[in-house]
Amino acid sequence: MTTANEYDVLVMGAGLAGMRAALAAHEAGARVAIMTKVHPVRSHSNAAQGGINAAMTDRGDEWEEHAFETVKGSDYLADQDAVEILAQEAGREILTLEHMGVIFNRNEEGRLGTRRFGGQKRARTFFVSDFTGQAMLHVLFEQLIKARVPVFEEWFVTSLVKDADGRCAGLVGFEIRTSQFALVKAKAVIIASGGLGRVFEPSTNALICTGDGMAIAYRAGAALMDMEMVQYHPTTLKGKGLLITEAARGEGAYLLNRDGERFMKRYAPNMMELASRDVVSRAEQTEINEGRGVDGCVLLDCRHLGRQLIHERLRQISDEVQSFAGIDLTKEPVPIRPGMHYQMGGIKTDVDGRCWEMHGAWAGVPGLFAAGETACLSLHGGNRLGANSLLDTVVFGRRAGRCAAEYAREVPTPHVPDSTVGMEQQAVSALLSRHANRDSVATIRHEMGVAMHTHLGVFRDQEGIMAAKGTLESLRDRYSRVGVQDKGRVFNTSLIRALELGFMLDCAETIVCGALLRRESRGAHFRTDYLYRDDEQWLKHILVYHQPDGSSRVEYLPVRLTRWEPKVRIY
Amino acid sequence: MKFAFFPGCVSKGGCPELYQSVMEVYPQLGLELEEMTTASCTGAGVLQEKDRKLGDMLNARTFALAEQAGLPIMTICSTCQGVMSQANHRLTADPSYLAAVNEILNEEGLTYRGTTQIRHFVWILLEELGEQGIRQRVRRPLTELRAAPFYGCYLQRPSEALGFQDQPDRAKSLELIMSWLGLEVVDFPGKTRCCGFPLLTINEKNSLRMVASHTLDAKRNGADILVTPCPLCHLNLDGMQSRAGGQQQADIDLPIWHLPQLLGLAMGMEPKRLGLTRHLVSTQGVLDKLGSAVA
Amino acid sequence: MITIFRIRRFNPETSPSMPYFQEYKLDTERADTVLDALMHIRETLDESLTLRCSCRGAICGSCSMRINGHAALACKTKVQAMASERGVVQVEPMNNMPVIKDLVTDMAGFWDKVRQVQPWLQPAGQEPEAEYLASSESMNHLTGVMGCIMCGACVSDCAALEADERFLGPAALAKAYRFVADPRDGAGRSRLLALNEPGGMWDCTRCMECIEVCPKGVGAMDRIMSLRSRGIQAGVPSTCGSRHAEVFADLIYRKGRLDEPMLAARTFGLQNLSRLLSLLPMALRAFVRGKVPKSGPLHRAIPGVEKFRRLFQRMEERP
Repeated sequence: MTTANEYDVLVMGAGLAGMRAALAAHEAGARVAIMTKVHPVRSHSNAAQGGINAAMTDRGDEWEEHAFETVKGSDYLADQDAVEILAQEAGREILTLEHMGVIFNRNEEGRLGTRRFGGQKRARTFFVSDFTGQAMLHVLFEQLIKARVPVFEEWFVTSLVKDADGRCAGLVGFEIRTSQFALVKAKAVIIASGGLGRVFEPSTNALICTGDGMAIAYRAGAALMDMEMVQYHPTTLKGKGLLITEAARGEGAYLLNRDGERFMKRYAPNMMELASRDVVSRAEQTEINEGRGVDGCVLLDCRHLGRQLIHERLRQISDEVQSFAGIDLTKEPVPIRPGMHYQMGGIKTDVDGRCWEMHGAWAGVPGLFAAGETACLSLHGGNRLGANSLLDTVVFGRRAGRCAAEYAREVPTPHVPDSTVGMEQQAVSALLSRHANRDSVATIRHEMGVAMHTHLGVFRDQEGIMAAKGTLESLRDRYSRVGVQDKGRVFNTSLIRALELGFMLDCAETIVCGALLRRESRGAHFRTDYLYRDDEQWLKHILVYHQPDGSSRVEYLPVRLTRWEPKVRIY
Repeated sequence: MKFAFFPGCVSKGGCPELYQSVMEVYPQLGLELEEMTTASCTGAGVLQEKDRKLGDMLNARTFALAEQAGLPIMTICSTCQGVMSQANHRLTADPSYLAAVNEILNEEGLTYRGTTQIRHFVWILLEELGEQGIRQRVRRPLTELRAAPFYGCYLQRPSEALGFQDQPDRAKSLELIMSWLGLEVVDFPGKTRCCGFPLLTINEKNSLRMVASHTLDAKRNGADILVTPCPLCHLNLDGMQSRAGGQQQADIDLPIWHLPQLLGLAMGMEPKRLGLTRHLVSTQGVLDKLGSAVA
Repeated sequence: MITIFRIRRFNPETSPSMPYFQEYKLDTERADTVLDALMHIRETLDESLTLRCSCRGAICGSCSMRINGHAALACKTKVQAMASERGVVQVEPMNNMPVIKDLVTDMAGFWDKVRQVQPWLQPAGQEPEAEYLASSESMNHLTGVMGCIMCGACVSDCAALEADERFLGPAALAKAYRFVADPRDGAGRSRLLALNEPGGMWDCTRCMECIEVCPKGVGAMDRIMSLRSRGIQAGVPSTCGSRHAEVFADLIYRKGRLDEPMLAARTFGLQNLSRLLSLLPMALRAFVRGKVPKSGPLHRAIPGVEKFRRLFQRMEERP
């Protein structure tokens, strides 16, 4: 594409957070562009099915209640100042999306309707059938077309560039179609490239979710925080691990074990199937481990919901279950199990998306911003509530975009030598020129995924985590020698997958690092050798930094409490 | 087997040879037909451009008439069949919709209960006579003939409304029947594509491109004739062929046959009685090739 | 089950760069999708096999390709359903767009057409403080078309586009419908006027390929038909297409059936006398060939047409 290679704000990733950030920066008057490895509407935000939370004060809901439930859901690891902002700004953001054209479900008066979601007592989840993420993503793309924001489409980012003062100065990447490298300079860079699901096998995540943004930020000196907090979603399909929305349970579906028992009554007698995700996933895994499962699964029963409700509100999963499992939702219960779904951790940011602390309380990269699943404020702490991720992307995407635009107004254009491109290009050429050996990128990736799933899944312990650490070390070594078969310059996906594996190994190592350190059980991080939450020692965040020699350095930050003292969590 | 026969406007208008050939062959197939003289046009997908519910109402009326007579409907036109199948699919899938339509039909003293079966002549050959029933009626196997099928969109899509799920052979009904008549079936990618007829009024150039593309493609693949169960395809592929050829500076000269004509010929009937002389692209060359046995 | 994947490959970097078919044989399981198989080939047999894919669950729209001649999402298509008697599945890139490499096509033209329909909400009047009021039915209706994932399958198999690449095509027209049918949008009339131009909503040939191949049940052609009826209702300037539909309806009203000569005469009328006259030689030849029914070229009404007309009137009176 022909675009000037210098911007005020450059966004990596074109999912909900990236597009929302770009639109906000554009509205604030910045010259903004997006660089993304897939077309915007192919982004993984598509996969968010169930909805988006907001406590709308004009209809009797209270933002404090939403905030509290988010904090409780996080097992008190969330930073409460960030959560308050999320809950306060949610209603306004929903209305902005509605005004942009999102076709939210309506009630009988023609106003926005809601459904129930997990971990929350009230119905405050706004939705579009069961493809809310897709409906929002396509509308933001419409707005992006309207605003004529330039998009470097199908460009693969290889690194973040800093100037001599250590300020963020842009991104280096190449156009996948031509392998043409470019340095795109920017005063501010916003990373919004989504999660790292493919580090685990299986995962609900799309194949593109390879932690690229987290890894390039990490390599450039930003902190990755709370990486051990990996969410396993309670309802994923056996096999490839495709997601079945929590909205199914929100609409009233049951979880049954092999005896037909609604077993959640033994784990969460009040909230039952709608307890927070970590609680439900652990309950399911316990049922399965103790022999009350069905072929490694438990059952999701939607039969009593009726054909019409399923057609109107759960159409996509009904199709999905039909095509991928051959099951008619209205007639049979669906075998499901917990599956890797979301990374609560990520690039440490403040509430405006900055990846550095202006007073030096924690180290980072000035000029770098992050938003969405890539980022960690921390909003979700040890466990994210369903329908808070879409909200996170738009509220903090907007804030990061606006703040980046303001920041760009104040700083001069960074100076970086063009030779930076040459170095990156050489690294890729070196990878391409390596001879293929018997090993393959696919094999290494698969072994990594299986090790992570086995040892860093719903239940963890010291021994398992150490085993994963050992596996990662040997995979790292094999990765340094593996070759790429396709040597071409046009749309070389073989090369892309090799580069992505490098990013994923970095991410995996930080997950293992955090999981080893955190000797307690909190939220999604459940250690069978440390069964309880330990607020005295571990009411804090773990920040991992990359060292020039490839090793990591750790720092801790206290959790920011505003109004909710940690309490025992009961659902 | 007895049917309420729905000939469709075109077999009684621009393609009289289709009606003629059906009238010739059906008594010998063990079929009994009662022509629906008071039924209206299906709307042909054109009326539906203006108002789909109106179209569904007209078709529900036709279905109710057949239901009253206790007969399934037989069509001889892909478009009639498709439009009716789609209408019936919508009416039977949604009881409240059917009730709303019936409220209007009651005016004429009619109610549609949703039980009428609508089948194209081709499907009846396939499902009622079958391979044996057809082969045993063949007096003159057309082994020298290489023929390509051309279905017409409405007999292929949307497959859900056409009952392909329960009757998978319907998707290849023409090929099956043609092969039972002894001829060599020529496969080509255009067989399920659009002939361009619905576009003729609004964009003649594009319509003719489709005619030329499919006829030339069939010829390149070795076809002597194209066989269609749709008179609308026939109007375009036969009627507009010379003009389409002119557009591409090609002399196409590919005769387009109605399926009942092919069937009749194989059953030993005279070409003239089947209306084979009433085409714009002459069928004489092919008849000559088949030789004196059919002359 | 042993399956042979016959894949159309193309690499612009080889010379001469001509597409060719390559076969891969592999053991597939009952539940495998074509995407599973392609990924397996890529990971174990040939890393250079190039395709786009991401979500594996029919929501991202990346993996559209032609499977046995028809466009489909590879991730939603079962190998078992596609394998021929000889166990062959043929895989090719989408049609109606240039191929970049193997199964990867250039969708720039696709997106240009989407941009042409001004695909963003254009509300009339002032933005309300709270949400726009809209009926539940209207929003539910729109979920059908918002379900479009822009995979390109409909465009790949569109017959009208194959004949003329200037046609907007089913995806862009369905996108346009999403706004025309949105009660919050205020630009309906100008949108319909734009769609009334050549290459717009009247250039669809109603072949239903787009309905058949759509993996999300969007029913693009049905949306195009709805655009046409909304256009007629909104009184956009008549075209041969809209007159054709109007005259058709009127003829059925009068006679209960079609009257081809009248349809042509009234559709083209005096505005398009040359089109009408150009049909004469064909009509004459048809006459000579005896392609005229015994009752003559003009048709009589069906018996009982008076009662039939009342139904028509009732329908048109309805709210």
